[in-house]
Amino acid sequence: MIEALRAEWTKTRTTGGIAWLLTGAIAVTIAVSAGIAAATHVSPQGGQEDPTKIALTGVYLGQAVVAVFAVLTISEEYGTGMIRVSLAAMPRRLVLLAAKAATTTALALTAGILAVTGCLLVGRLMLPTAGLDPAHGYPLISIGHSPTLRAASGSVCYLVLIALLSLGVATALRDGAPSIAVVLGLLYLPPLLAQAFTDPLRRHIEQIAPMTAGLAIQATTDPHSQPIAPWAGLGVLTAWAAASLLIAALLLRLRDA
Amino acid sequence: MNDAIIEVTGLRKRFGPTLALDGVTFTAPPGKVTGFIGPNGAGKSTTIRVILGLDAPDEGHARVGGHPYRDLRNPLRHVGALVDAAAVQPSRTARNHLLWLARSQTLEAGRVDAVLELVGLAAAARRKAGGFSLGMRQRLGIAAAMLGDPPVVILDEPFNGMDPEGIVWMRKLLRTLAAEGRALLVSSHLMSELQGIADHIVVIGRGKVLAEAGIDELLARAAGEQVLLQTPTPAEAYRVLHRAGGVTTIIDDGALSVSGLAARQVVAALGQSDVVFSEVTTQRPTLEDVYFQLTSGEAEFGTNTVQGAQR
Ligand SMILES: Nc1ncnc2c1ncn2[C@@H]1O[C@H](COP(=O)(O)OP(=O)(O)OP(=O)(O)O)[C@@H](O)[C@H]1O
Ligand SMILES: [Mg+2]
Repeated sequence: MIEALRAEWTKTRTTGGIAWLLTGAIAVTIAVSAGIAAATHVSPQGGQEDPTKIALTGVYLGQAVVAVFAVLTISEEYGTGMIRVSLAAMPRRLVLLAAKAATTTALALTAGILAVTGCLLVGRLMLPTAGLDPAHGYPLISIGHSPTLRAASGSVCYLVLIALLSLGVATALRDGAPSIAVVLGLLYLPPLLAQAFTDPLRRHIEQIAPMTAGLAIQATTDPHSQPIAPWAGLGVLTAWAAASLLIAALLLRLRDA
Repeated sequence: MNDAIIEVTGLRKRFGPTLALDGVTFTAPPGKVTGFIGPNGAGKSTTIRVILGLDAPDEGHARVGGHPYRDLRNPLRHVGALVDAAAVQPSRTARNHLLWLARSQTLEAGRVDAVLELVGLAAAARRKAGGFSLGMRQRLGIAAAMLGDPPVVILDEPFNGMDPEGIVWMRKLLRTLAAEGRALLVSSHLMSELQGIADHIVVIGRGKVLAEAGIDELLARAAGEQVLLQTPTPAEAYRVLHRAGGVTTIIDDGALSVSGLAARQVVAALGQSDVVFSEVTTQRPTLEDVYFQLTSGEAEFGTNTVQGAQR
């Protein structure tokens, strides 16, 4: 296993595009959060907003770049045929998949921590000027505030799980473009679809869809506004990622390379 | 090196309607270049993928050094293979491509530089593989195959895209590797590419092994090969050679032509019976002729395709 990890890490380190994609993911996440913070104007009544959630809005778009990165880690190997070189070097296929999952996790984790930290800083600096300041009953965003810590660490976990979900889909489908389409569809379509229904069906859709369930972790002021409890929501996304990796592992074992 | 052997037994493999392998059995012995020859679609690449554990056969099995490939730990130290020269990440440098492979086998980075040197890519080591010509990619593929200094080397169409200089280099390398005791399996659809370097030939057509033999036997077995010799006692020689399985013609007083036996078999048979003879020569068909005799009608897309590929 350690050899497989070192091999996968060396691959990652020596692929030019990956550093750019991850930098892109961080930049997009922070930029969207900054844009939203700049666009926020709160009426003086106060008490209704969730500054931490606003500050973490960028994750909504940043996840797409993380998904693309994770898809490419394996689809590029299928695209070039290098997967056969990889499997000849590492014939124990589940070990190869595990090593890929581990490097993907490490990179998504790093990118996630940087992106989420950036979002919180942006929120802390920009939101007070939007009227979300202590004078109006909104304390400055701080990691010392436990719901904020939960939202922040949960958002990092969210990005890692999205990466693993994407890796599983791409391993199963092999081809990059369809994999990206499937992952983005899985993320962004259910919330749109849900709008066509009324509660309780809408709520059920939002409870089982990977994005709406997973992002419930970001709510800090009014958890009941969310379709599902924070950690339960992340649990749903974990189930999605696990199912995707399980199918991937099965197909990788059974199919010809 | 008793690790240096490939044994393929009864491989059968179907892709939908295509029966790609139909009971393929052969052995690539140590210290020899085994030429794996057949027309397009014969099943060469499929066989190689099965040996490498990339494709699972429906029936039969393949062993390398006595073990199924998937059981090998650090397999590149046992088997080096070139399956598809294009299979590199274009944005990665040659050196880094070999480096991740080395890491996967707990090999020193020093091996990377050694094999780059071996294939003559040292100067291009830090260039992106995406910019390599087909010939350079073939060399990179050979470098990857030799990374673990393996006793078994499997190369699928290694001459593809090589310039004449590259072909000469490759032939020499293959001879050297075999002389070191390794088992080499080298596929090609051109017999001429392997003439003079392959010691052992496996001819495959439509998923079946049409012939497996040492190169001399193969040539002798083919219709058209004749051994010519002079002897003062033609009648006696005729009897001896007939008993040994040869078809002998007495050309004129003292000259015989024998078919169905290789020259060394003729010499052995006559020698054992104390028949005096001289001037043994072989009039042999080329490997090319043998190959066409064996594969005519076996090419997946008709013989025309094969001959087209020839020219
Ligand atoms: N993955 C696959 N899916 C479907 N059919 C396949 C697959 N791989 C090989 N085949 C079919 O199996 C047969 C054998 O193909 P293979 O590639 O092994 O031949 P080959 O001897 O390597 O030919 P070539 O000289 O053209 O490389 C062909 O009919 C081919 O179309
Ligand atoms: Mg082939």
